[in-house]
Amino acid sequence: MTKYLLRRLPSAFGVLLLASFVIFLILRAVPGDPAEQLAGNDPSQEAVDAIRRNLGLDRPLLAQYGTWLADLVRGDLGTSYMIGGSVSDLLGQRLGNTLELTAGSLVFSLTLGLALGIAGVTVKNRFGQTLLSAINSVSLIVPPYVSGFLLVFVFAIAWPVLPAGGHVSVFDDPQIGFQYLLMPALVLALPSAAVLARYVKDGLQQALGEDYARTAKSLGVAPRRILWRHALPNALPPVLTVLGMQIGVLIGGAVIIEAVFAWPGLGLLAEQAVTERDYPVIQAVLLFLVAVFVVVQLLTDLAYALIDPRVRLG
Amino acid sequence: MPAVPSLDTSRRTVLRAAGAGAVLLASAGCKSAVDENTNPAGGGSSGTPKRGGTLQIGSMVDFTPALLFTQNSFSVLSRLVFNTLTAYDRNLVPQPQLAKSWQVAPDGTSVTFQLRENVRFHSGRPFTSEDVVFAINNLKEAKRSAQLRATAAVVSDFTVTSPTELTLRLAHPVSNLFDLFEFMIITDRETVEEAVTGKKLIGTGPFVFKTWTPGASLSFSRNPEYFVPERPYFDGVEVRIFPQAESLLSALRSKQIQLASGLSGRDIAPIKSDNQFAIQEFDTGGGATYVGVNVSVPPLQDKRIRQAISYAINRRRIVEQAFGGYGFASSAPWPKSSPAYSEATAKRYPYDPARAKALLAEAGATSLDLPLGFLSTAPAVGQMVQFDLEQIGIKTTLEPMEPAQFQTRLIGQTLPALWTGQHGFAQVHPSTLAVSAYPFNEAKNSSKFSDPGYTEIVQRAWRQVDPNGPVAKAAYQDLSEVLLDQQFVIDLVVLANLHATTSNLQGVAQNEFSALDLDNAYLA
Amino acid sequence: MATEVLTPLPVAAPKTRRVHNRYLRGLLTPRGVTGLTLVGVILLAGLAAPLLTSHDPNFQSAAALAGPGSDGHVWGTDDLGRDLLSRILYGIRTDLLVVLAAVPIGLAIGCSLALLAITHRVADVAVQRLFDLLQSFPGLILGLTITAIMGPGKVTIITVIALVEIPAFGRLLRGAILLHREREYAVAARVGGAGPLRLLTRHVLPNAADPVVVQIAVSMSIAVILEGAMSFIGIGVRPPDPSLGGILASSRPYLEDHFTYALGPLVVITALVVGLNLIAEALNRGARR
Repeated sequence: MTKYLLRRLPSAFGVLLLASFVIFLILRAVPGDPAEQLAGNDPSQEAVDAIRRNLGLDRPLLAQYGTWLADLVRGDLGTSYMIGGSVSDLLGQRLGNTLELTAGSLVFSLTLGLALGIAGVTVKNRFGQTLLSAINSVSLIVPPYVSGFLLVFVFAIAWPVLPAGGHVSVFDDPQIGFQYLLMPALVLALPSAAVLARYVKDGLQQALGEDYARTAKSLGVAPRRILWRHALPNALPPVLTVLGMQIGVLIGGAVIIEAVFAWPGLGLLAEQAVTERDYPVIQAVLLFLVAVFVVVQLLTDLAYALIDPRVRLG
Repeated sequence: MPAVPSLDTSRRTVLRAAGAGAVLLASAGCKSAVDENTNPAGGGSSGTPKRGGTLQIGSMVDFTPALLFTQNSFSVLSRLVFNTLTAYDRNLVPQPQLAKSWQVAPDGTSVTFQLRENVRFHSGRPFTSEDVVFAINNLKEAKRSAQLRATAAVVSDFTVTSPTELTLRLAHPVSNLFDLFEFMIITDRETVEEAVTGKKLIGTGPFVFKTWTPGASLSFSRNPEYFVPERPYFDGVEVRIFPQAESLLSALRSKQIQLASGLSGRDIAPIKSDNQFAIQEFDTGGGATYVGVNVSVPPLQDKRIRQAISYAINRRRIVEQAFGGYGFASSAPWPKSSPAYSEATAKRYPYDPARAKALLAEAGATSLDLPLGFLSTAPAVGQMVQFDLEQIGIKTTLEPMEPAQFQTRLIGQTLPALWTGQHGFAQVHPSTLAVSAYPFNEAKNSSKFSDPGYTEIVQRAWRQVDPNGPVAKAAYQDLSEVLLDQQFVIDLVVLANLHATTSNLQGVAQNEFSALDLDNAYLA
Repeated sequence: MATEVLTPLPVAAPKTRRVHNRYLRGLLTPRGVTGLTLVGVILLAGLAAPLLTSHDPNFQSAAALAGPGSDGHVWGTDDLGRDLLSRILYGIRTDLLVVLAAVPIGLAIGCSLALLAITHRVADVAVQRLFDLLQSFPGLILGLTITAIMGPGKVTIITVIALVEIPAFGRLLRGAILLHREREYAVAARVGGAGPLRLLTRHVLPNAADPVVVQIAVSMSIAVILEGAMSFIGIGVRPPDPSLGGILASSRPYLEDHFTYALGPLVVITALVVGLNLIAEALNRGARR
C-alpha cells in the first residue's frame, strides 16, 4: 500500500508543479497589472512605476516565479497586494467560510439523500415513484442560480423570513449565522442529495434482497424494523464513501453559490482577486484548488486500490 | 458579533429551543436575521440626540488599506478614524478642524496654521506640527498615489515655529490649496507602514479602529478623548461587507444595519417610497459619468463630430434608467455646489438628434463605425450611448473592459475611439479636476487631447491666490467653456452619492471627498 | 436515472448492426419524447424569433420595466426599455450558437486527445495530467481567468465551455476504449488477426462511442448552465446581444417589483436543461438495452 502511494506521489507533485507554472504564466498574460490597481483612481504613470518597483514586478518573470516557488516551499504564501495582510491568513479565513457552507450543505445533502432514498424503497405506488424520480432529477440538474433565484424570491422577498445573502459566522452567533447559512447550503446540497438518494436507494434495495432480510420478513418481523435495523446500517458505508467524494464537488460548486448569496468564501475571494489582479492571492487560491483536486483524486485512487488489488499491482 | 443588537434575555431561551434544529425561525420569540429590530437606544422623540448604542453599517465594498491615502470607493473609514486640517462648509469655505486658524500670505505663496492644542492620537501621543509636515511629505510620495499629489508637491518648505504652529511655503500660489487640506488625513507618522497594510490605523478621529476581518467586517469604538466635546454620540460602529446590492438592501430592510453605503439609485428602488427609510442624496463625491473621445482616431479630431455625439445622447433617459432617477443630466462635470456650476453649462447640450445629424453632415462624416469601450461591471450606460448614437447614424461596437483592463488603458492612453467611464474631482475647486483627474489632465490625458489654449487656461485657473475671487471665477468659466467647446470628455450625468438609512438615523454627513462623517450622528 | 447520466456506464453488449435504431428506440420512450419536445419547442422558438415578434431585441425606449401586456410588449420590457419577449427569443439563439459551437469543439479535441492517449504510455501520462489540470479548476474560476485574458464575449464563453468539456469527453472515451479493448470479442478479433487500427475502428470504437453520445446531451446542458453562470457574475455575452443568462443577471435588481422580468429566462433555462438531460437519459437507456 505504501509502495503504491509512493508510486502515485510523484505524479501528484508533477501536477502541482505544472499547475503552479501554468497559473503563474497565465496570470502574467492577463492584461492589467496590480500596480495600476493599487494606484487608485486617476493615478499618474509615476505612481504606477513606483508601486511596480515596490512590489518587485519589474523583475524578470522567471526570477519572480522562482521567488514565489521558493517562498511557497517554505510555507510562505506572500502578502496580498490589495487586501493587505498575509495570504495564508486570508486563505484560511475564507476557506473557513467555504467549509462552513460545505459542512452545512453536507448535512442537508445527507438528510435529503437519506429521506429521498428511503422513500424510494418504501413508497410503492406509481404516482409516488414518479414524483420522487422527478424531484430527484430536478434537484440534480436545475442550475444553482435558478434554484437560488427562486429561493431568494420566495423566502427573502415574497415572504421575508431569511436574509437574501451575506454571511455571519455560525461560530460567532449560531442563531443568526444559521439563518444566513440556510438557503445557500440548501441550494448547494441539492445535486449531491440527488446523487446520495440514488446510492441509498440502490443500497437499500440490495440489502432488502439479501437472505437475512428475506428470512426476517418470513419470520414476521415488521418491514419498518427490517429497514431501519438491518437494511439501513448495511447500505450506509458505501453512501458515506460517496458523501466523502462529494466534498470536492461541493467546494467547486460553492463558487457560484457564493456569488449568488454574497458568501465571502474562496470563490468570492478568487473573483475579487482576479478582478484586482492581486497575483499572490489568485495564485494561492488556484493552487489550493488544484491541490484539493489532486488530493481527492489520490484518495479515490487509494480507495480503489484498497478494494481492488489489481490496481495496486498493475 | 450579533447581527442584531438585541436583548440577551430572550436569546438564551431561544438558543435552547434552537437545539432541536429550529428550521422555522420565523416563529414568535426567535431572534431573526430578517425581523425588524427595535432600535437599541430605545424609543424616543426625534430631534433630541440620543447617546450610546452601536451603529451598524453595511458597505458594498471592503476596505483596501493600500488605497488609504486616496479617494476610493470605501468611504466609511477615513473620517471616522482620522481628521483633516480643515473642512469645507457647503460653500467650499474652509472651517477649522485640526487647524484652529490660519493665515494665507497676500501673494499666496505661504500659509501659516495654528493647530488645536491637547489633541492626542488614539495611541496617546500628542498631535503636533511635525505630524502635519509628515502628512504632506507622505502625500508627495508617488507610491501613495494620492490624487492631490500635484497640489501637495507645490508645498516646497516648512517652518515649524512651535508644536502647534507651522508655516508652509509654496512654489507658486494654487487655487485648490484647501482642497488638499480637506483631502489629507492626518495619520500617526510612527505607524504609517502598518496603516497601509491595515494592521494599525491610528488617528485623532471620533472613533478608534479595533479590528478588520477582510471581506467580512470592521469595528470601531468611541474615542472618549475626541477633541469635539460630547461627541460622538455612538459608543461604537460596526461595518459589515455585503458585496452584492440585494443582500445589502435586504440587510437594511430587516434593519440589521441602519446605514447602507454604496447602493446605486437603481438598487434602492424598492425602499424609495417606504417611510421607514430615508435616502440622503449628495451630488458631491459620486463623480460623473462621461463619454471619453480619443481625438487621435480620425475623424474624431474634428470637434464638430464630438459635439454631435454630445447632442445625440439622451442624458435624461440615462439618469432615469441607469441611475434610478438620482443625479442630474449635465453636459458639464460640475455638481451644483461647484463655483463653476451654472445651469447654462449643464444644459449646454440638450438632447437634439436633428442638430447632431446636421453637425455630422457639416463635418462630412458619413458611415462612421467606431469601437465603444465600457466597464463590464456597468453595462447600462454603454448600451444606451450605443443606441442613441445609432439613431444619428454612428454605428458603434461595444467593447467590454474589466475594471483592471480599463485602468491600464486609461493610464496607457490606449482606450478605443469612444468609451464610457466615470470621473471624480469636480466637486471641489475646478482646478483640481484639471490637474488631478486623469481624463482632464492638461499634460497627458486619455483622450490624447492637447491644446496650448487649454493648458494656459488650466494653469491660470490653478495658480490663483484667492480661489473664490473674481479673477479665479473668470478662469473657472473659461475652463468650463473650453471643456464644453472641445468635448474631448463629454459629460453625461453628475452622479449622486447615496446613503440609504433607517429613518431614525440622524445627523449623518459626508465631506467633499465623500468620507462619512458621524460626529453628530445618532439614532432617534 | 439522472445519476447514471452523469457517469454513464460503458455498455456491456457488443454492437449489432442496428446502431441508430437503438438510440432511436431510447428516444421514443415517454422520457425521450418529453425531452425532445422541450428542447424542440425552445429551438424552434429561437429559430422562428423574427416571425414570433416584430420588436427589435435591441430597440430601446423610455418605457423601461413595463409589465407584461403593456404597450404591445407581450412580456413587458427590460431595464432599458427593450422588448423582453424578443430578447428572450433572440437570447435563445445566442445560447444555441454558443452551445453548438462549444460542445463539438470540446468533443473533437477531447476525443482526439483520448485517441492519442491510447497509442502510447508517455502520451497517456501527458494527456491524463492535462485533463487533471483542466478539471482541477472549478468551471467558473476557469471562466474568470480566461475572461481576464481574452476579455468577455462569445468566443471566450465558447473557449471556456470547450475547455470544461475536453476532459469530460476525453476521460470517458479513453476509459471506454481501454475497457472494450480487453473484452472477449476484441481479444477474439485480435487473435483472429485484426490489426490494431482495424480493431479500434471496427470493433472497439463503435462500442466505446455510446457513453460519448450520451455525454453530448449532458455537455449541452452543462454549456447552457455555464453560460448562465458566467453571465451571472458579469462575464457573459457582450451587450447589447441578448443571452438567457444575461437577461437573468440584469433582472436581479428588479426581482421584487418585476418578477416577470426574471421569470422568462428562468423558465427557458430550466426547460432547456431538463429537456437535454431527459434526452441524455433516454439515449443512455436506449444504448444499454
